[in-house]
Amino acid sequence: MPASNPRTSPSSNTDDKNDAFIKVGERDLTITRVFNAPRELVFKAWTKPEHLTRWFKPKGCTLPKCEMDFHAGGVFRFVIRGEDGKDYPFNGEFVEIVEPSRIVFKGNIHDVPGQNVFTTVTFAELDGKTKLTVHQTYTLESDATRGAPTGWSQTLDHLEKFLITA
Amino acid sequence: MTPATSDRLSATFAALADPTRRAILARLQSAEVSVTELAEPFSMSLPAVSKHLKVLERAGLIARGREAQWRPCRLEASPLKQVADWVAHYRRFFDESFDQLDDYLGELKKKEKKHARKQSKN
Repeated sequence: MPASNPRTSPSSNTDDKNDAFIKVGERDLTITRVFNAPRELVFKAWTKPEHLTRWFKPKGCTLPKCEMDFHAGGVFRFVIRGEDGKDYPFNGEFVEIVEPSRIVFKGNIHDVPGQNVFTTVTFAELDGKTKLTVHQTYTLESDATRGAPTGWSQTLDHLEKFLITA
Repeated sequence: MTPATSDRLSATFAALADPTRRAILARLQSAEVSVTELAEPFSMSLPAVSKHLKVLERAGLIARGREAQWRPCRLEASPLKQVADWVAHYRRFFDESFDQLDDYLGELKKKEKKHARKQSKN
């Protein structure tokens, strides 16, 4: 986001005392799915571009760019092309890889500074099947919006209430 | 998410980061309220409340009437909905991806079986 945007430029408001670069938004997402395949195979589907290009995208989208250095500290560069032909980059770094049980990576979404996601994928054995859990923390950071970094879960609880009545 | 959307979300999150502003929004859920009425429960000066209202207005969370004396504030829901949609968007990404992963794993399993048969023949 451009720093010159007047909507989010630093102002002299009383609540803008804090100069720290802080998280302005944070949300968690957990998704679980059981796959009828052995754990090693499910893990394998995450390890190479030839596998990921087949499934790591929403329906109707393609993955025209899929480069990855699959080890801790290795970087990845993905481009997801939408049905509308638009490209959505997703770039980042593998933080931890434990074969065949765990992959941790952090990434930036759509080249927007401060729009990041931290992802932990766990693979658990379940009578020959595999329980896959993806846990993600999405953050939105901005040096232009300053305030107290605390109280987010509370804010979002309130938000849920608003949405019911709004 | 586009940079513009993310910018709007930042403004919404920043506006919601303050407990007084959240309380103001909560108050506006039930009715349109004047600035004077809003100031009452917070033991704050009118200018201080006005400052909070300006932040909320900039984030598009409230709208204010045009009357010079009595500018009633009203809650605007769409930025709040956008925050909720933010993560729903990514949940959809995985729901759809996992459907495709399921199909792909079926394909991989067949390939591995074939491979295993070939190896046992040799």
